[in-house]
Amino acid sequence: MYYKPDETLLIAYLYGELEGEEKAQVEQYLLQHPEERKQLEELVFVKQTLRYAGDKEVIAPPLVFEDSRARYFWNTRYGRMITGIAASLALLILVARFTGLNIRVTDQALTIGFWLEERSTANEALQMASLSPGEVQQMIDATVVKNNEHLQAGWKATQAMLDASVRQNLAAYSDAQFNTLVKKVSSASDEQIRQFALTLQAENASMIKDYLALNTTDQRVYMEELLIDFARYLEQQHRSDLQQLQARLTNMEEDTDLFKYETGQILASIINTVEPISTETKN
Amino acid sequence: MQAESLPAQGMMQTDSLIERAQEGDKHAQGRLVQLWYKRIYNYCYKFFVDHDLAMEASQKTFIAMCRNIESLQDAARFKSWLYKIAVNACREENRKNQSKRAMNLDGTRIGDADNSPRWEKALHRHENPEQQFQHQELSDLLQQCLMELSEEQREVVIMKEYEGLKFREIAEALNVSENTVKSRMYYGLDALKKILAKRNITKETVSYVL
Repeated sequence: MYYKPDETLLIAYLYGELEGEEKAQVEQYLLQHPEERKQLEELVFVKQTLRYAGDKEVIAPPLVFEDSRARYFWNTRYGRMITGIAASLALLILVARFTGLNIRVTDQALTIGFWLEERSTANEALQMASLSPGEVQQMIDATVVKNNEHLQAGWKATQAMLDASVRQNLAAYSDAQFNTLVKKVSSASDEQIRQFALTLQAENASMIKDYLALNTTDQRVYMEELLIDFARYLEQQHRSDLQQLQARLTNMEEDTDLFKYETGQILASIINTVEPISTETKN
Repeated sequence: MQAESLPAQGMMQTDSLIERAQEGDKHAQGRLVQLWYKRIYNYCYKFFVDHDLAMEASQKTFIAMCRNIESLQDAARFKSWLYKIAVNACREENRKNQSKRAMNLDGTRIGDADNSPRWEKALHRHENPEQQFQHQELSDLLQQCLMELSEEQREVVIMKEYEGLKFREIAEALNVSENTVKSRMYYGLDALKKILAKRNITKETVSYVL
């Protein structure tokens, strides 16, 4: 039987992954086929050459990972389950609310349905509708009569109360009281008015007098203070003038002294220059 | 070897960190990011050969990881799950930037001799500068070669060769069968063989560089 290993077997042999009979078969085949062996050796050379492309050195950069999943309860396994159940329940309740879902357990039956409540109320309405028109008319009449009686009673009571209050008011503000008030007002005599005017005048006069008196004293005090200040000012001015004069006199004295000193010096220098000349002439 | 030991070490710590991260422990999520950032970035970088796009896709991957880690049911499948996110982030970013990438020629320019700024980027300063430059150049060249593969082949080759994922894990990450992954890997390596030959990268030139 002719044996020819395929490329998968050859490559497994090349990487030493064949064992036992398979390995022996391939080795046998390569011995018998030198051209195949040569080709495999060339692949070995390729493998060996590839090794010269070495690794590159690299430093792992700091990678920052978001920790959001650990932080939130709803991202945990149980959290998700609980949130899911809660959401389903909420959805169920919402749907039930809008569809009028009704679950009822009676003595021997469990009823699940939509809009049951409304149907039962409709039935009751139908039962109510079974009353005869005569009975209904009677009921309406009775209600109307009762209502009328009640309204009339209320109206009468209000009328009585209004009458009573009007009467009371009229009694309280009778003509007699008005008359006495008017009389009191008109009884004020001319004498009284004159007296009132006099007192007013007297008060005014005293007020003006006080005002004037106060005003003159204030003015006097002010004038006095003004005069005193002026006198002080004059005195100070005088003093400063004197001081200035004094300063000038001292300046003049100093100048005179300096003048004297300078004259002395000039004289000395003249003497110094004159003396050698005189001695020379003497000699 | 070093590339494999890091994820293995990471996986040991990852198991307990995943549990805590799933309970919403931000510190554990931060630690997971620190542990896996370099791997995911390098996957994305080899997918795009562009630092900015790789950073963008890596950050999106880890943001998605922290947001969806609660939905991860089997902590043992964390690695393939994380790469699945990265694969999707890269595909999305690639779609968004396809037109922009077509215009950008800077990324495909190979640095020439002394003017190349790659001198400054060199990491192993104790090595001979010339050798170091040639290493870097070879590395860049290989990454350009990877870019010539189809998106599907590139994903598988990077995950297998550089990320050390098992074929089963790659299948889970890409949501395809294990055989499809192996097939893509085979044809991916075969295509790379031709691309390397076209760029004159042979055993002789590689041994000269090294």
